Amino acid sequence: MILLYDGSFEGFLSLVYEVYYEKLHVSSIVKKMPETLLFERFHEIFTDEAKARKVLEAITKHFTKEQQRTIFHTVLCDTREYEMALLEYIRIGFKNKKELRNINNTNLFYIQNLEKELLSLVHKMYGFTRFEELEDGTLYVKIETKFNIVPFLGEHFCKRLGNIPFIIHDVKRSLAFVKNDTLREIRSIASFVAPTFSNEEENFKVLWKSFFKAAAVESRYNPKLQQSWVPLLYRTYMSEFQV
Amino acid sequence: MKLTTEDKLSLLAGSAKYDVSCSSSGSENNYKTGELGCAHNSGICHSFTSDGRCVSLLKVLLTNVCIYDCAYCINRVSNDTPRTAFTPRELADLTINFYKRNYIEGLFLSSGIIKNEDHTMSLLLQTLRILRHEYRFNGYIHVKLIPGASKELIEEATLLAHRVSSNIELPSSKSLALLAPDKTKEKLLSPLKHARGISLQRSAKPISMSTQMIIGATSESDFEILKLSSALYDKALLKRVYYSAYIAVNNHKYLPVPELSKPPLLREHRLYQADWLLRFYGFSYDEILSENQNLDIQFDPKTFWALSNLHLFPIDVNHAPQEILVRIPGIGIRGALKILQARRFKKLCFEDLAQLKISLKKARYFIIAGKDFHRSSSLYTEKIKLALIHQGSNIIQPTLFDTSIYTGEL
Repeated sequence: MILLYDGSFEGFLSLVYEVYYEKLHVSSIVKKMPETLLFERFHEIFTDEAKARKVLEAITKHFTKEQQRTIFHTVLCDTREYEMALLEYIRIGFKNKKELRNINNTNLFYIQNLEKELLSLVHKMYGFTRFEELEDGTLYVKIETKFNIVPFLGEHFCKRLGNIPFIIHDVKRSLAFVKNDTLREIRSIASFVAPTFSNEEENFKVLWKSFFKAAAVESRYNPKLQQSWVPLLYRTYMSEFQV
Repeated sequence: MKLTTEDKLSLLAGSAKYDVSCSSSGSENNYKTGELGCAHNSGICHSFTSDGRCVSLLKVLLTNVCIYDCAYCINRVSNDTPRTAFTPRELADLTINFYKRNYIEGLFLSSGIIKNEDHTMSLLLQTLRILRHEYRFNGYIHVKLIPGASKELIEEATLLAHRVSSNIELPSSKSLALLAPDKTKEKLLSPLKHARGISLQRSAKPISMSTQMIIGATSESDFEILKLSSALYDKALLKRVYYSAYIAVNNHKYLPVPELSKPPLLREHRLYQADWLLRFYGFSYDEILSENQNLDIQFDPKTFWALSNLHLFPIDVNHAPQEILVRIPGIGIRGALKILQARRFKKLCFEDLAQLKISLKKARYFIIAGKDFHRSSSLYTEKIKLALIHQGSNIIQPTLFDTSIYTGEL
């Protein structure tokens, strides 16, 4: 049977609840109603806070900290179809925890690789994120990433930027991590006004560009190598790659 | 003529770019609430220049004025190039502003020798003091120790920096005498020895240090180079040795002619691979090479070693311990760990390895996996060599037993 849910974490947990208590046989999980339904049976899951909480409690009790992290990490890979694999991961975990380490199982190996992919994206963005200083001294950055990594970046830069207020704006997901004296949280962005930058901002961009240019050794010129390290996809908001 | 900050930065970053060290890894998390900057254990690359090298630090010279006359160096006193210098304050402010915008992970500070060694070292330290004490900056700082600087200054550097280094420059005393008459091996190594001594007195873990050697400017063989690196690692004097393919920036009678010499990039690459084998794979330098030998250009050092030691192969991936698994060409630390994890649940065959995304391209010639081993070419060096070289072209006919059926390659 095909399951339809809203794509949220709570929604997914409600789905796990129903699969368990209604003993559903799942053939696929979708976030949107497919346009053509063949002969498959079809079931819509409604997000239910109580159900979601129950499943979450069970997961917290039953899985190790590391495994719980894996589950949350997987959910952050929101552009990938992880639902079937994650359902399988949870099912196996409830049945036989030891078996979770068996990477010969395609679903478990898929989850392991997905988590690796997420963490490697997070690591890349630790470096490729470029803040711009606003008039009031707040640092502001726009990102557009494959997975939802705002929570990671928020935590990372809280450690780095001392008392400087900052905003990390995920353009695609309309989310922002906001940190200032009183606030430290992820919010959804309803409307957005382009900010005004500080007087010094342009100057430092110019300095950074000239440093970047001067640091390259001409006789080792290798743009292909460069592109394999920083694919074009990441360059949108990196000032050194803007003409 | 007065230079702008931008001009200075271009000049002094341009002069520092030949120093290849850029890593900021291996430092402990030193996060303090409310303070600026924090090191990251694995190091973070913030960008990559058009030569494909990583940018993680603001790598600059404090000044490109130098009283030394090293033949290979762009800043040697006898070169007629524009000279300039940052003030410590200017450089500290630049570092903080770059760091805030997340352009960099920290500072890599080197310098030409202005006036004398101690004077130069004090200027470097002044920059570090502003950063550490005034701005309370905890980000990564790597500072070059000036050979010949006094002990007190070196001691202060080890207190303020995450990593200190001094370049050996050339792999032998003979070459140094020829090309860097102001430097001797003792003079270059003594600040390192001293820094290590001081930091060991303070804690059990010595400050992390690195060095750099220029490859291909002089006639030393890869064997001599690796022997030297391995001695430096064994005595725990250094954490990293960097190899830098010689880039011609000057004309000099003892140096390769600039027009004819391209930087020996492949040789440099092979040396890094061999260095990796020394540091992480448990190889010793004399296993990798014999006296006066150079690394093979065609094969990576591990494959070359395996081909010369075929009596140790094939290795059974279902039984070999980790330290043996990592000696199989094509299987690295990650691959070995995956094998160890997976084989606890079942006996692995070629298909399982491919499923686990372990590359069989090289490995298949050197392993047994369950009932699978590579049947189409027997373990005979020349045949394997040929097969490895012509990978992709149709030299090995796939047979019914060939793994290419599973891996989709020839």
